[in-house]
Amino acid sequence: MLALEVRNIGKVFVEDHKETVALDDVNFTIAEDEFVCLVGPSGCGKSTMLRIIAGLETATSGEVLFEDKPIKGPTPKVAMVFQLFGLLPWKTALENVEVPLEVLGVPKAKRAETAMEYLKMVHLDGFEDTYPHDLSGGMKQRVGIARALALKPEILLMDEPFSSLDELTAKTLRDLVLSIWRKRDEPPNSVVMVSHNVEEAVYVADRVIVMSPRPGRIIGEVKIDVPRPRYEHRRDERYFQLVDEVMEILQNGNHKQ
Amino acid sequence: MRGYVLKAVGGFALVVALAVLIGNVSPYPEVKSLPFHALSTVTRIFVTLVISVLWGVSFGILAATNRTASIIITPIVDLLQSIPILGYFPLVIGFLFSWGAFGIELSIILLLFTSMAWAVFFGVIGAVKAIPTNVIDASNSFRIRGWRYTRHVVIPAITPAIIAGANLAWSDGWFFMIAAEYIQYKSSVVVPPSGGVGMLLAKAAYEWKDMNMAVILLVFITTLVIVVNSLTWHKLMERANMGTFKPIIHIGLSGVGKLGSQGQSWLDFRNIQAPKAFSAIWQRIEKYSRQERITAGVAALVIILYIVSGEFHRLPTMQMIQEAFSAPPGERAATMPLLVVLTMGRLTTAYLISLVIAIGLGVLAAENKLAASIIYPIYDVGQGVPILALFPVIYLGITPLVGSERIALEITCIMMLVLDMIWYMFINITSAVKNIPTDIKEVANLFGFKGIKRITHIIVPSILPAIVTGSILSWGTGWNTIIFSEYLPSTEPGVPAISVPGIGSFLDEAGYVYGNTILLVFILVVISVIVLGMEILIWRRLLRKFEKFKVEV
Repeated sequence: MLALEVRNIGKVFVEDHKETVALDDVNFTIAEDEFVCLVGPSGCGKSTMLRIIAGLETATSGEVLFEDKPIKGPTPKVAMVFQLFGLLPWKTALENVEVPLEVLGVPKAKRAETAMEYLKMVHLDGFEDTYPHDLSGGMKQRVGIARALALKPEILLMDEPFSSLDELTAKTLRDLVLSIWRKRDEPPNSVVMVSHNVEEAVYVADRVIVMSPRPGRIIGEVKIDVPRPRYEHRRDERYFQLVDEVMEILQNGNHKQ
Repeated sequence: MRGYVLKAVGGFALVVALAVLIGNVSPYPEVKSLPFHALSTVTRIFVTLVISVLWGVSFGILAATNRTASIIITPIVDLLQSIPILGYFPLVIGFLFSWGAFGIELSIILLLFTSMAWAVFFGVIGAVKAIPTNVIDASNSFRIRGWRYTRHVVIPAITPAIIAGANLAWSDGWFFMIAAEYIQYKSSVVVPPSGGVGMLLAKAAYEWKDMNMAVILLVFITTLVIVVNSLTWHKLMERANMGTFKPIIHIGLSGVGKLGSQGQSWLDFRNIQAPKAFSAIWQRIEKYSRQERITAGVAALVIILYIVSGEFHRLPTMQMIQEAFSAPPGERAATMPLLVVLTMGRLTTAYLISLVIAIGLGVLAAENKLAASIIYPIYDVGQGVPILALFPVIYLGITPLVGSERIALEITCIMMLVLDMIWYMFINITSAVKNIPTDIKEVANLFGFKGIKRITHIIVPSILPAIVTGSILSWGTGWNTIIFSEYLPSTEPGVPAISVPGIGSFLDEAGYVYGNTILLVFILVVISVIVLGMEILIWRRLLRKFEKFKVEV
C-alpha cells in the first residue's frame, strides 16, 4: 500500500529575475508504515521537497499524490515538525498543542483533554502551563511533536527536527518518535524525515533516500535492514556498513546505477 | 494591584493639587482654570492617539500582509512622513477653520494626527514582518488562517509594537501640542476653543512674556506627562514584554547592571520596545522596488495636484504661478538657495553637537555601570518632557542674556534642534549599546582590548548602524522642528514676528502669514527634494555599508 507518491517534482525559484533550480525531476514513494529519511548536503532542496509534501510550497512541475489525490495545500492528515519548532511564544505548551485542534473544530473541553494526552505522551506533563520562553530546546521540540501528533496524522513530516538540539536530547527524542511510530494501532503510519546527519538517518529509517547538491536530484536509495529496535543494534557491523554506503553515495554519487 | 491604585490616586492628586495651586497664585484669569486646560489637552491627545492606533493597526496589517496594498500604502505613507508635518499643515487648516469651533478642534487633532500616526503604522509593519518563517510555516501547516491567524498569531505578535508605537505617538503628541494649540494663520492666532495647556504656555511666553509663568507651566506639563507615563506606559510595556518572539529575536537584552532583572518597572529597560519601532523605520529605509518607487512618484504628484486644485478648484495657470512668486513673500524667492544654506548650517551644527554628546553618553553608559545608572533614567524621564514647549521658555530666558532678539532666536533655534535631534540619536545608540552581545564583549576581554582600543574596535563599530539610523531619524525630526523654531509668531498688532532667515521661516511666512499656497507647495517640494536627496546620497549608502556589520542574531 502506498501512502505517498512523489511524481516528477521540479521546483524553480525566481529571485531578481534569476532562476534557481532547487529540485529536478524527483520521484519516490512512501509505503504505508514506512519511515523514510531524505538526506543530502545543505541546499540540496530536501527541505523544499518536504515543504511541497506538506502543501506549504507548490511545485513548479509534477505532483505529490496522497491517498491517490494530488496535495493542494496543508491537510491535518499530513502534520509537520519544524527544525526551529515554530511555537507561538504567547501561548503555553498546552495552548500551542490546542490551536490546530481548534482549527479542526474540536470542542474546547475535548481540545484540552487531547492536548494533555499528547503532552503526556512526549513526557511533558507538568509543563503544560509553561511558555516556550521558559522551556529548553528539547522541551520545545516535544511540544512541536505533540502538536503534530495530536492531529492523528497519517503521515508525519519532520524537517531536521533534532538538528538544533544537543546530541543527548536528540537521541532521547529520536527514540521517543520511533517508539510512537512503532505503535501500529496509533497514527502516524508513515514518517518522512529530512536530515543531513547520515548516522541519524540510518538509525531511524527503513529507507534512506540520498539527494545531490543543487539542483536536487535523487542519486541513490539505501534500504536499511538493521532489525528494530535499533537501539539494541546500534553497534552492529551492518549498521556501520549502511552508514558507509550512504556516505559513499553522498560523496561520490551512485556507481551501482 | 493595591499599590497601583495608591500610585494612581497619588499621581492624580499631585497633578490636580499642582494645577489648583498654580491657578490660585496666577495673576492671569485664564490660568485659573488650569485643571480644565490640562484635561482638555489630555483628552485631545488621547482622542488622537485612539485614532492613530486604529489607523496604524488596520493600515499597518493591511500593508504588511497584502502585497498590492503594500505597493500603494507604504510609499504614500513614507512620502507623507518625510515631508515636514508642520509644513503641509497650512494647506488644510484654512479650509477647516471655516467650520468654526468644531473645525478648529478638528484641525488641531489633524495636526496631532499627522505627527502621531507613523510610529504605530511602521511599528506594526515591522512586527508583522518580524514574525519568523517557522511560525508562519507552522501556522500554515496546521491551517491556522484568516481570522484565526490574525487572532492567534498577528495580534499577539504586534501587541508590543502597538504599545511601543502608541507610546512614541503619545510623546510626539505632547511634543507638537504647543505648536498645535497656538497656530498663527494669516496674521491672527488660532487657539482651541476648549483651551489647553499648550496654548497657556505659548501665551505666557509670547503674549504675557512672563518667564516665571512659562517655567511653572512647563514644570506642570512635564509632571503631568511623567505621572501619566508612569501610570500607563510603564505598566503596559511590562505586560507587553511577555510573548514576543524571544527565542529568535532576543539578543541578550541584559538590562542595565542588575537593575533590569529585579523587576523595578521604572528602570526596567528590557521593557522599552522603542528600538523595535525603530527597526520598522529601518526597514522602510531599505530600498524599494522600482514598482514601489513609481507608485510613490505618481502618488506624490496626485496628492500635490489634488491639494493645489482643491484650493483653487482648478489647476494653477502659469499666470497664477507668476503671481504667487511676486506676491509676498514670493518676491524673495530668489534668495531661497541662501535660505537653504543657512538652514542646513543650523541643522548640521545641531546634528554634530547631538552626535558627539549622544555617542559620548552611549559609550559611557556601555563602559561604566555607575554612569549607566545615571544616564538611563534620563532616557526614561526625557520621554516625558515636551521638548517643543521649551522653545518659548529658552527664548525668554536667553533674550536678556544676549540682548538681541535675533541672536537669542538663533541660539534658541539651535538648542531646540539639539534637544530634539539628540533624543533620537540617544534612543538608538543606547539601545544598540545594550544590545552588544555578551560574546562580543567576552571576545574583547579575552583578547585584552582595553580603553581606547576597546572603544574604537568593539563599541563604536557595533553601534555604527544605530548611529546611521539615529542620524536619519534625527534629520527627519530636525526638518520638522526647524519649521517651528526659526520663526517666533507675534500677536501684537503692528509688531512684526521675529524670525531668523532660513527656509523654515520662509515656509512659515508663505504658509501661515500670507497663505500663499503655490509658493508653499514649491517650498515643500524643495524641502522634500533635499530630504530625499540626503537619504539617497548619504544615508542609504551608509546603511548599505554598515549593514554587514550588524551583529547576527
